[in-house]
Amino acid sequence: MNIFRFEFLKLSRKSRGWLGPILVFVLIMIAYPLTVEVSNLELGQSFFSVLWIATLLVMMLATEDIFLEDYNDGSLEQLSISDGNLSFVIAVKIFIYWMLIGIPISIIGFLFCIGITNSSQNSIYVLPIILVASYIFINVFSFGNALSLTKGSVLGTLVTLPLLLPLLIVLGKVIVAINFGLNYFGFLLLLLGILSIIIFIVPMIISYIIRAHLE
Amino acid sequence: MIKKFIHQFASPKTYMFQVNRAYPYIFYFSVIIYSLSVFWGLFLTPEDFVQGNSYRIIYLHVPASFISQSLYLAMAIASAVYLIWKVKLSVYLVRSIAPIGAITTFIALISGSIWGIPTWGTWWVWDARIVSTLILFIMYLGLISLHDSFNNFEKADKFLSILVIVGSVNIPIIKMSVEWWSTLHQPASITLSEKPAIDLVMLYPLFGSIIGFAGIVTCLVILSSKFQIFRREKNKSWVNDYV
Repeated sequence: MNIFRFEFLKLSRKSRGWLGPILVFVLIMIAYPLTVEVSNLELGQSFFSVLWIATLLVMMLATEDIFLEDYNDGSLEQLSISDGNLSFVIAVKIFIYWMLIGIPISIIGFLFCIGITNSSQNSIYVLPIILVASYIFINVFSFGNALSLTKGSVLGTLVTLPLLLPLLIVLGKVIVAINFGLNYFGFLLLLLGILSIIIFIVPMIISYIIRAHLE
Repeated sequence: MIKKFIHQFASPKTYMFQVNRAYPYIFYFSVIIYSLSVFWGLFLTPEDFVQGNSYRIIYLHVPASFISQSLYLAMAIASAVYLIWKVKLSVYLVRSIAPIGAITTFIALISGSIWGIPTWGTWWVWDARIVSTLILFIMYLGLISLHDSFNNFEKADKFLSILVIVGSVNIPIIKMSVEWWSTLHQPASITLSEKPAIDLVMLYPLFGSIIGFAGIVTCLVILSSKFQIFRREKNKSWVNDYV
């Protein structure tokens, strides 16, 4: 419980860390209708692609310095040699990032979804999908970030970006399923299944990588 | 005995000498097989009923796409070997397979899009099979750039092999994409369990071309791995003697 509180305070006091990505997300959502000719129908059609891409890129932005500060001030090194469980701490860290960035983004995306597609019925279905998807994104990008910890975050996240592209295909299918009333829960369960694997494996891999960095 | 053989073979020095002995045989054998089966495929097989002569690019496209996925699988296995048993040679192999894999994936993409013009009427579609092959190509490039961004080889090796193993989730997605999603790309014609959906007249040269192409790619991997060994072991005395 202590770790939760500690990580929460650390991120919430660094307002650039969590407010920045949220503001970028809002900016994308506000700016994108300006680029489309004024016609609500077209706006609704392309909205979901913009939503997924914006979520993806904002999560990439959000994980930018998820481990770097801890690495520089030596707290990661201390954690790895103390008997505390490093991968658990990393999992908590990722969870806090998702809580402070992923959840607000999902709610904002959901509100924009109601506003732009004018159908609150379908938008309710979108909310759990975007919550789960953002958690998966943030996990995978943290992995990429840990890979290129000392080399700047761009390389690592770019290298792991291809891993997420199949997920984007699935997300595209979800929207089709929602619009035509098809097998929506199947897709939600698929995403939850992916998440339940990732949520355990990624922190373990990251802790291995960080130990290798510290050697 | 097997254990002894593996231990001997895992040393870069023995690998180099063994490979040098086998290299000319593999090279000539695969070049002959590939050119024979391409000749057979281009001139001796009949025209396809639907596609006419355009299907003959199959003798480049199918081997290239098959090999590009197999190479990734080989990389994943080699990375696992490196992470578990710390065999240095296997990570040299991973690094040397990556550019070759990128080339074969590129050939698969290009030949596929050339084939797409007469048969589908378009050179590119954004469907699962093609996009996932493009992802494989980007993965190969990403692996190379990740490895080259580190000055410390040991760290680079570790991160490279981790990323290869994590990235191998893409392989079943590419493999099954034609069945999970409705794509323009046809499902595989040749499977282990079922009777091939391609006529035997065309199948034999196709098998020949796959074997030949695999042999040529093996030769390229051997050359590339020799380069990696020289680059990494340049301070060892045996390399100086060898050169």
